Amino acid sequence: MLKMKNINKVYQTEKVQTHALRDFSLDVEEGEFIAVTGPSGSGKTTFLNIAGMLEPFTKGQYLLDDVDVGTLSDNQRADLRNQKIGFIFQGFNLIPDLNLYENVEVPLRYRGIKSAERKRRIENCLEKVGLASRAKHLPQQLSGGQQQRVAIARALAGEPRFLLADEPTGNLDSLMARQVMELLEDINREGATIIMVTHDAELARRAPRNIQVVDGQLADFTLYQSRPSGVVTPANVAVEA
Amino acid sequence: MLEIKPIFNAMRRSKVGAFMLLIQIAITTAIVSNAAFIIYDRLQYLQQETGYPEDEIFHFAVLTFGKDRNLSQQFEETETTLRNLPGVINAAAIQEVPLSGSGSASSFGINPTTEQGREGLEVTAAYTFGDEHAIDTLGVKIIAGRNFEQDEVIVAENNDVMPNVSIVSQSFLDEIYPNGDGLGQTIYLGDMPMTIVGVVDKMKGPWLRASIADNFLIIPFVSADNFQRMVVRTEASQRAAVMRQIEDTLLAEYDKRVIVGLQGLDESKREYNASDILMLRMLVVLITVLVLITALGIFGLTVFNINKRTRQIGTRRALGARKSDIVRYFIVENSMICIAGLLIGSIAAVYMGQALLELYSLPALDHNYVAITAAFVFVVSILSVLIPANRAAKISPSVATRSI
Repeated sequence: MLKMKNINKVYQTEKVQTHALRDFSLDVEEGEFIAVTGPSGSGKTTFLNIAGMLEPFTKGQYLLDDVDVGTLSDNQRADLRNQKIGFIFQGFNLIPDLNLYENVEVPLRYRGIKSAERKRRIENCLEKVGLASRAKHLPQQLSGGQQQRVAIARALAGEPRFLLADEPTGNLDSLMARQVMELLEDINREGATIIMVTHDAELARRAPRNIQVVDGQLADFTLYQSRPSGVVTPANVAVEA
Repeated sequence: MLEIKPIFNAMRRSKVGAFMLLIQIAITTAIVSNAAFIIYDRLQYLQQETGYPEDEIFHFAVLTFGKDRNLSQQFEETETTLRNLPGVINAAAIQEVPLSGSGSASSFGINPTTEQGREGLEVTAAYTFGDEHAIDTLGVKIIAGRNFEQDEVIVAENNDVMPNVSIVSQSFLDEIYPNGDGLGQTIYLGDMPMTIVGVVDKMKGPWLRASIADNFLIIPFVSADNFQRMVVRTEASQRAAVMRQIEDTLLAEYDKRVIVGLQGLDESKREYNASDILMLRMLVVLITVLVLITALGIFGLTVFNINKRTRQIGTRRALGARKSDIVRYFIVENSMICIAGLLIGSIAAVYMGQALLELYSLPALDHNYVAITAAFVFVVSILSVLIPANRAAKISPSVATRSI
């Protein structure tokens, strides 16, 4: 579903050249739940941004559902993001002047979905995250955990096949973090592919596949929970040069 | 997809900036439409036809201190000298210069004034004394009747004997003889009867701003005085050259006199209208400043909103907004504020127009000016929002994932 081959990302300022990703290659299959860990500044977020087409890469090839992202125009990338990808951000990124209903509505409006269908989806998604009764509330009237659930509802409303989460529990206490994680696991079980960047080792361990980004390069520890032994073994340790 | 409802809801929740801008747009619309109308009205006034080829005419006065001249003849000698100058079309003795802001006026009746007063219609008009060359020199056109005969012009040191004919402007004639049968009829200046022998289609009096600006008469009389005003018409291209040699030429002919107040007719008119021209310029400056401030206000508010919403814009982009969606968002938001401001401003403009009408007796505001101003302000507002909105569209969607 997602194929990255030798992706490089270089940030160029006047004096400094920063290599955020070096020959980064990754294959993600449909339905996977991947936790991405790694030290600060290792390139996790850059990877997520490129995966979500939020920023361009310098070199390499990225195929999303066999579409070569590098050849797309800005508008095509925006449309593809809107149709295929749901985002969950660390800071929730809800729009403060819009109520929950309107917040969840934003990506649906960009897709040009009709009002009745929007309403059905928004109510469904708010129901799923347990906030249907608060549709008219503004984000600041909610707790952090509730806000993140609204953000998840917003990501789900577009019925994306691919969910990108950037430290989704980073601003939440452990109870709320667990609830959000459970929600993500539910969503994954329903078929969405999830890539989650996190600092939280415990949370990462709950994901079936872990990858680690170090110095812009990939270390892949894939853990298959479905293994009969139930033993956690690093199946594939590959540091790609 | 215009997002009007969510934009409106969002604006309702943080309304101070939007409200301030709305008020500013309303005030600008109200003031600019009235000011533009006043400017138009004043321009019409300043550019109105006066009946005179102003750039061909100049005037001056001769103050004679020599006692050895026959003043009854001097003006004719002076006229002859002037006519002999190359480029001069005609010259005449005249008592008051039209358009200059200085002159005489009186009421004229269809009956003489008696001790009991006057019966019948009475019309106020400005008048000047002048000789038979005055009509041609002033460049006005007689459309009915005739010019003065030479022997109808009375030259005298006092007012004992007065002329019995006059030439009047059409406007005056229509007022005093509304039935259209005025030519050949008699009018009275006090108890002095004068027959209307000629009618000029357009001939403005000395005071352009006055309600009687169009009522003007010429009476064939020359005062044999040591102060004599002359008016000269030249080829337009020759006027400056002729004016330069007036003093030398006349003093060479007779030097016990001084030439004063040499001035083109257009310049005299400009001096009379100086306050109108000043007001016009100030209004133009006012309008420009107001529109600029409003444009800057819209620009500033949009820049402020964009800075405040950088992350929001990035998030919208991440959620699938195209660049054009972002530009459209700001244009729609601004247009909503602007249209509300324009509606309020247009109503205010009409009320303001009425107040000006009552307080300063300005003409009634033409509502087209409100509509045109509103359209203009709207276009300015869209242009002011375009630059920052385009900048907003360039915000990378990746700001959504950057930590705060």
